[in-house]
Amino acid sequence: MISLSDYNHAHEAQSIAVSVQNLGLTYTTSIDKKPTLKARLKSLGRGKKHTRVVRALNDVSLDVHYGTVLGIIGSNGAGKSSLMRVISGIIPPSQGRVEVFGSVSTLLALGVGFNPAMTGRDNVYLGGLAAGMSREDIDSQFDAIADFAELGEAIDAPMRTYSSGMYARLAFSVAAVVEPDILIVDEALSTGDAKFKEKSLNRMKELRTSDRALILVSHALATIEDLCNEVIWLNKGTLMARGNPKEVIAAYQEFMKVGKSASSDEDV
Amino acid sequence: MSKPVVVYEPYRKGLPPMGDYLRQLWSRRTFITEFSRSELREQNYGSVFGQLWLVLNPLLLAAVYYLLIYVINGTNDKARFGHLTATLFLFYLIANSLTGGVKAITSGQRLIMNTSFPRVMLPISATVVALFRFVPTLIVYFAIHLLLGLPFSWQMLWGIAILFIAIVMSLGLAILISCVNVYFRDISSMLPYLTRSLLYLSPILYEAGKLAGHIRRFEIANPIFYLLDAWSRVMVHANAPGLRAMAHAGIWALLIFSIGTYFFISRERDFAVRL
Repeated sequence: MISLSDYNHAHEAQSIAVSVQNLGLTYTTSIDKKPTLKARLKSLGRGKKHTRVVRALNDVSLDVHYGTVLGIIGSNGAGKSSLMRVISGIIPPSQGRVEVFGSVSTLLALGVGFNPAMTGRDNVYLGGLAAGMSREDIDSQFDAIADFAELGEAIDAPMRTYSSGMYARLAFSVAAVVEPDILIVDEALSTGDAKFKEKSLNRMKELRTSDRALILVSHALATIEDLCNEVIWLNKGTLMARGNPKEVIAAYQEFMKVGKSASSDEDV
Repeated sequence: MSKPVVVYEPYRKGLPPMGDYLRQLWSRRTFITEFSRSELREQNYGSVFGQLWLVLNPLLLAAVYYLLIYVINGTNDKARFGHLTATLFLFYLIANSLTGGVKAITSGQRLIMNTSFPRVMLPISATVVALFRFVPTLIVYFAIHLLLGLPFSWQMLWGIAILFIAIVMSLGLAILISCVNVYFRDISSMLPYLTRSLLYLSPILYEAGKLAGHIRRFEIANPIFYLLDAWSRVMVHANAPGLRAMAHAGIWALLIFSIGTYFFISRERDFAVRL
């Protein structure tokens, strides 16, 4: 989704797109997936803990320049998605500062489709409007989004009737068609069928221009190596390494001791 | 180096910078109207029969109470019938706002986890939907008022002020309950009991004046008691509302709105990690 309507497409290559300074993120979340008042009342006086404090990011600093495709790797719980959500303004930081120098489009894990009872069309419009786009902006991009997603007449069907692949196609199309200054994609290239996966990868390659910055989170190390010209590795919220994709990925693999297993390198 | 388009820093005092927050909210006002339209369309109000239902539904409700008062009870009290329909329709504005608002955040999970926007837009949209559904009932009420031959006077313009208070209260309740439901997901299951209790504790099935004095003392704790009483005086009897009733309703509305909004905005940063 576009999170800024303030477009600023004239960026010099190597000028800063995103500056992350001493970023820390600590939050409290509930232990139960769906906390209830009933459970809370039943456990009164038993000293049972209902929340836990998560330290998701710890003093992370990095600059992303225009013309860069930055890959972010790390094991589950490393803080990759948290970092993306702070950069996108979805979660405010607990410490430090994030400066963003352009319009951001995010495709974070769940993607578009906020109300499954509404049609794909309604969801695209609502998502766009929530993100700060104007109706005219969405009108002008809508046909391209629908074409790219290849949903045909299903675009006017309720999203609850969509398959997971259809969801993924629409989500990727919304994020990638609108041509943002900064595109953030989190674990979204691994969904959809093989044909659409290739199409999304090609689109990502098209978006690799000197006046755009791409940030890509994925467990698919081969894809990261193919697409990115810089990689960072996060572990338990701390920045472990940054630099050449091959070297950082090799260091990460060694750390994880995953060896050469092909299945662990590819989409999950 | 050029100036950043946006800067994210830790919140101070639990609240985001309010000037920026309100600016963002205003710039996304189209979302609220579009959401309400989509929601109504989804509930089939986009079709002719769906729109007809918006009018038929209050008419059927009125018919049920006609049966209760005129046929079963055997009375011919026009003012009582007018009171029942007028207060019931206003009560549904508040109840629909609550039922729409309670899941506004939890059902907006995908949007909240993917997009940065003022989260309060979602419960506001729920109240706007309730308001859209209330407007036809107002038209139905005026038709009933006319048919019953109830009085009209300029004092009925007080209805605008009372409606405004009701909207502020509905908004506050929707905002508050949507936030509470993030922390306790079973609140939505308890809501029907809450609204049903509110229905019986408020002057809808009876007029406020008919209530015994010792019970009426406790009604100060019911936020909508005097609001509905004032609405009935204005809309049914075409009299000016009592100052005490307006002050009671206004203070409750302001209190609920302020507490609800503060609680919501100070907590909304948590939503993305709690959903």
